[in-house]
Amino acid sequence: MDLSEIRGRLQVITEEITASEGEEENEEAEEDEFVMVRNRNLSSDPSEPPDAWCSDCRVPTHSKPREHTHTRHRVVSLSNATQEIKSELSKCSSSLAEKITQMDNFISNLEEIFITVEENFGRQEQNLEQHYNDVLQSLSQRFKENSAALLDEKKLKLETLYGQLLNCGDVLTASKELIEHAQELHRCDNKHAFLQTVIPVIKRMEEFPQDELELKVGVSLDFAPPSSDLTEVKHMMDSINALPAPSAPVMNPQVAISASPSSLRVCWSLFSDDTVDFYELYRRQIFEDINIETLQDASVLRVKETHCVVKDLLPNSQYEFWVTATNTTGISPASEKAVYMTVPSPPVIKEHECVSCLEAALIRWDSGNTNPVESYTLELYEDGETDNAVTESIVAIPTCECVVQLQPWKRYIIAVRAVNIAGASEKSQPMKISTTGTFFHLLKETAHPSLCVLDDGFTIIYPDKDLSLSDMVFSDTTFNSCVAVLGDLIPVRGRHYWEVEFDDWTEYRVGVAYEDTQRSSYLGANATSWCMRHIRTPSRHKYEFLHNGWSADVRITVQPLCVGVFLDYDSGTLSFYNTHLQQHLHTFRCCFTQNVLPCFALDKPGTLRIHTGVPTPSYITHTQA
Amino acid sequence: MQTMALTQVSSNKCAGGYQKVFEHESSELKCKMKFAIYLPPKAETGKCPVLYWLSGLTCTEQNFITKAGSQRSAAEHGIIIVAPDTSPRGCNIEGEDESWDFGTGAGFYVDATQEPWKTNYRMYSYITEELPRLINSNFPVDPEKMSISGHSMGGHGALICALKNPGKYKAVSAFAPICNPMQCAWGQKAFSGYLGPEKSTWEAFDATILAASYTGPELDILIDQGRDDQFLSSSQLLPDNLIAACSEKKIPVVFRLQQGYDHSYYFVFSFIDDHIKHHAKYLNA
Repeated sequence: MDLSEIRGRLQVITEEITASEGEEENEEAEEDEFVMVRNRNLSSDPSEPPDAWCSDCRVPTHSKPREHTHTRHRVVSLSNATQEIKSELSKCSSSLAEKITQMDNFISNLEEIFITVEENFGRQEQNLEQHYNDVLQSLSQRFKENSAALLDEKKLKLETLYGQLLNCGDVLTASKELIEHAQELHRCDNKHAFLQTVIPVIKRMEEFPQDELELKVGVSLDFAPPSSDLTEVKHMMDSINALPAPSAPVMNPQVAISASPSSLRVCWSLFSDDTVDFYELYRRQIFEDINIETLQDASVLRVKETHCVVKDLLPNSQYEFWVTATNTTGISPASEKAVYMTVPSPPVIKEHECVSCLEAALIRWDSGNTNPVESYTLELYEDGETDNAVTESIVAIPTCECVVQLQPWKRYIIAVRAVNIAGASEKSQPMKISTTGTFFHLLKETAHPSLCVLDDGFTIIYPDKDLSLSDMVFSDTTFNSCVAVLGDLIPVRGRHYWEVEFDDWTEYRVGVAYEDTQRSSYLGANATSWCMRHIRTPSRHKYEFLHNGWSADVRITVQPLCVGVFLDYDSGTLSFYNTHLQQHLHTFRCCFTQNVLPCFALDKPGTLRIHTGVPTPSYITHTQA
Repeated sequence: MQTMALTQVSSNKCAGGYQKVFEHESSELKCKMKFAIYLPPKAETGKCPVLYWLSGLTCTEQNFITKAGSQRSAAEHGIIIVAPDTSPRGCNIEGEDESWDFGTGAGFYVDATQEPWKTNYRMYSYITEELPRLINSNFPVDPEKMSISGHSMGGHGALICALKNPGKYKAVSAFAPICNPMQCAWGQKAFSGYLGPEKSTWEAFDATILAASYTGPELDILIDQGRDDQFLSSSQLLPDNLIAACSEKKIPVVFRLQQGYDHSYYFVFSFIDDHIKHHAKYLNA
């Protein structure tokens, strides 16, 4: 096969095409000249050079007057026709070029195959030769063994026969002597002497035949051909075409992107010379908790390939796999065991525990997996971006919460993935966060038992009917004298703003407190809380701005029904505003050494409504220069 | 418009800007008047809002600029502060220098109707008309953005200017103002001298009375009062009357009784930043 020759031919074809393209361009140039000439000659003469092109007949023609043969045809100007045909041509040539590329690829494919086939046959020949040599060797061995046995037998038989021959000669001699002795006696005339000696002779003659009964050949005269056991050779002959049983396959370690929460792509390999009809893949789940490890049956899958996607698995779980290979000859030993792990299930964002402010959000989630995962990845997209590209991701988060820095005045979509060595889970259900203001939830576990938080999560009610003390359940976190509740403010020491709305008779305390503020004392009565308090006296509304049990003496002429609370860690201030009037009421100055939480209390039965996520009004931000 | 010749009396760099004093011939008061003006750094490149500061009894334009420490905060917020004198001076009116709470240094920011004061003692018109005109035409100011504040008698002046001219001043505040002059000794002495015995004419210059009939754009009034102010205890200031009127009329007032403070400029100095911030909120809105 001469591949380079074919290559060369293709090269030539390509060059021809390029050349013809060049010619085309030359023609075009000539046509341009035509057009110029035509424009100078206004009258149309059929003998003039054609100025148009019939695209049906594919011949040049005249546009005015149109030649009879082309009246019903599509006739276009020469330049248009050139353009069209040129584009057609370039289309053809590009498709041809494409085919050449394909051909090139095919050729290199063929080359590879050629080499592989050559190699394979070479190996096959070697094998065959080896096998036949083995058989010949075995046969000659067998020949040697058999012929030696034959010689031994021959020697044994001849020796026996010779012995017998000698023996017979001896007997014959003795018989002759006896006959001669008897004849001598017979000729003897001395009757007395005859009678005296004849009796022992007669006795010997009577005894003689008794000794000489053995007149058979002492060895078997049959020739038993040696039973040549050729089964082994036959087997060898047979096995020239059969293959040896495969050796134990080797499990591959788990690779990236090979797992899902419920499936694993398990791979293994085998020694190159082995031929395998099928594999049997065994798996068993590994439990972290040793107690659970009962005698679990391994499940088996029969597979043709050296990989298998195992399905119906549990997420974030470890499985051990091992494999055997089988062919017509037999089954291999089992491979070593390899541990694979499934990807975790996606986490579940706890929307009701996520809080945010202008420049950050605190996202909390449930793992979504019973076993611990390695870490979590948080991804955030800016909402409204068309391609939904990941704008940022935070990796290797060890716990189920994360504070993420954001840009103010944007909308984000946030999702979380759980990660283990097998990879990352699918994204959790996304959550939307708008950084328009500070958003928090109430910490219901801190609420005084008499305080109700409505389903909206932001309206708190101190009902008219007091619970009896025995009905109240207090814990370490609940306020037990002040009917109060804390809010879950994001622990970001920036600026925060929220609003509180009340009816004009509501007696309340609103402000901030350290997380560990005494649950037994009233808000503002200690050094760990700051609050605005409204008291209704028969004559007027009284306002206190309480911290550590002391209040500034402030008189307010217009009762605020909605109070804006502005917390600024940077300047160490907590300010209160009448939002309806945009009126500044009071500012506490204190460098908060710990993070503070919003606090809300009702001193008398009543209702209070909290607004979070409200943008800080400009009249407040303006004066905070 | 008459020629408004200004003569610079002094100019000192202060907090990045300039504290200056000018003198001019007042057409309203028929005498030479001085006023102090603080020009913040921002005034060099753009127009700034103006806060008019009215001082108290016996003061000149000097007290505020030397004692209140307002310049740094004014520089920060880009506010021009104009502090005029508290009365006409050198008018040769009989008895003008006889007492500290009437006549020179005690113009009470009214337009006098009685002889011999009515020619010169027109401080209300001077503060609300002539002076703003003068300032607007000679300095880089935004004429739409003005506000007013003052101390004691000046607090009274600031309150009446704001209450009598709804919308003219974007904000108003006061330190220990004389809230109800008709009911206190200082006020009665001044009003009877400048306005005559007819008490109904006094009402036009009494903040408490004016508040009770105020209509107009919402005013946000900030008042600071020292608790240890001897004039509070001697019933010259009467803030409760104003608060009651404002509560009744739903005029927003935040009144802060500051523990331990007296009537002095030490008190003003302590809270001037809060007041400038209060004005800045409306002037820079």
